[in-house]
Amino acid sequence: MQNIISDLDQARKHDSGKERKLIGDRGDYFLNRMEGETGVNISACYQCERCTNACPVSHFMDIKPHQAIRYVQLGWREDLIKSSTIWMCLSCEMCTTYCPNEVDVAEIINHLRNMAAHSSITPKEKSLAVFHQTFLEVLQKSGRVNEFRLMNTYYLKPDILHERIKNKTLKEDLLLGINLLRKGRLKLFTPKSKAIKEIKRVYSQTRGEIV
Amino acid sequence: MRLSFYPGCSLEGMASDYARSIDAVFRNLGIDLVEIEDWSCCGATAAHSLSQTMSVLFPARNLAAAEKLGLDIVSPCAMCFNRLRFSQNMIKKKVFDIPWPVTGNVRVHDMTRFLAEPPMIKSIKERILRPLNGLRVVCYYGCQMVRPPKITGYTDYENPQTIDRIAAAAGAQVIDWSYKATCCGASIGIAQREIGESLTRRILQKAQQAGAEAIVVSCPLCQSNLDMIQKDRSKRHTPVFYFTELLRLSFEEHGDPKWFKMHFTDPVPLLRAKGLLS
Repeated sequence: MQNIISDLDQARKHDSGKERKLIGDRGDYFLNRMEGETGVNISACYQCERCTNACPVSHFMDIKPHQAIRYVQLGWREDLIKSSTIWMCLSCEMCTTYCPNEVDVAEIINHLRNMAAHSSITPKEKSLAVFHQTFLEVLQKSGRVNEFRLMNTYYLKPDILHERIKNKTLKEDLLLGINLLRKGRLKLFTPKSKAIKEIKRVYSQTRGEIV
Repeated sequence: MRLSFYPGCSLEGMASDYARSIDAVFRNLGIDLVEIEDWSCCGATAAHSLSQTMSVLFPARNLAAAEKLGLDIVSPCAMCFNRLRFSQNMIKKKVFDIPWPVTGNVRVHDMTRFLAEPPMIKSIKERILRPLNGLRVVCYYGCQMVRPPKITGYTDYENPQTIDRIAAAAGAQVIDWSYKATCCGASIGIAQREIGESLTRRILQKAQQAGAEAIVVSCPLCQSNLDMIQKDRSKRHTPVFYFTELLRLSFEEHGDPKWFKMHFTDPVPLLRAKGLLS
C-alpha cells in the first residue's frame, strides 16, 4: 500500500511538478454510496473495456464508460458530474448487457445523471440536458407529450435558440418542421390526460432543475 | 380475446399511421384492444434521466389503470414497453411510495412478441390474402425492446427473431443482418443532429449492404429516424415500414397508397413494382 500517494505535496514531488489527481479524499464513501443507491456491484469491474467497445457513442464522450466506473471506484464525483459522458449516454443498455461481471454501467451513468440534475453544476452538454427538462415540462402540462409542442418549446429555449442561430441550423430545423407538418406527422392538438393534477404533483415533488 | 392497449404519445402524433395499421390488423385478427382509460405518458428517457422516482411513478399510474381492467397490457412502442416493465420491477421491490393502488402483477407484452407466439403466427398465416412475395426486408429492433434482457425478458437479445417471424409469415423474404439491435441514436438527433445522423446512417447503410429493399421496425422513434434521414432524393432509398403496415397490406385485398402518405421515403413505387399495390 506504500505506493498509493495520499498527500498532495508528496504527490507533486513524486511527479516532479506535474499535478496529480488524488484518490477521493473521503475514501470509498462515494463508491459505497453509489453501490448502495443503485444496487450494482461496482467493485466487480476489472476494466476489460467491454462496455466502451459496445457503446455506440463512446467516441463522443470525454470520460469513456469503463473509465467512468473507475472514477466511481476512486471517488472522483465532481469530474463525473461535470463530464459530457453522463449526458451523451443514450441509455441503449449495450454496456449493461455485455458486461461480463454484470456491472450495470447504464444504470450507474443514469444515476450520475440524476445526481447532476439535482446539483448546481452546469451540464457540459447543455442542449441534451435541456431537452430532457423540456420533455418533462411538456409532459406535466398535459399528461401526454405532443411532439409539436415539445419541438416548439425546446427550440424556443433561449440557450438552444442562441446555439442554433450561432450554428446556422435554424433554417434546417424550420424546414424539417414544415415538412413534418405537411406530411401530417406533427399534430397541433392531441388529447390530454385528465389526471394532470396527479402528474403535476409527482413532477413538482421530484423534478430536477437544470442550472 | 381482449387486451388492454397502451398506445403511448407517439401513436397520437408522429406515428399515427402505426396506430391506424395496428387497429386494422387487430380487428382482422379478432382481438379486442381496450385502450387504458385516461393513460398518461411513460416519461420516456427524460424521466429516468432526471429522476428515478418519476420514471417509476409515471408508468405506475398506467399499470394501476390497467390492473383495474384486469387485462394483459400490450404496448406497440418499444420505449413504453421498456418503461412499463421497469416500473413493474421497481413496484415489486417496494422501494417507492406509489400514490395509486398497484401490485405490478399484470403482464406487459411488447406487441411484436405477442404476435410472434406460435398460435398467433398460425392465425396470421390463415388470414394472409396477398403474401408479400419477393419483398426483401431486414428487421430492425432497436434498443429498448430487447435490452436490458433482465427487464425485457428477451433471451435472444443479440439476434431477436420476433419481427423476423412475423414478416416471414406475411410472405416477405427476411434477410439476416448484424445491426438488428444497434442503437439508432434515439432522441439525441433533436439536440445534436450530427451524432444522431451518424448512428442512423450506419444502420441504413448496413441494411442496404445486406441487400434489403425495405426495413421493418416496430419502434416509432426508430421509424422516424431511419425515414427522415433519407430526405436526399438523389441517393438510393429504402422505405421503413412498421411491421403492422406490412401485415395490413397482406391481410387486405386492396392496398391503399394513402396508408403510406406519412412516410418521407415513399414506399409506393417499390410496392407497385412488386405488384402489391395497384
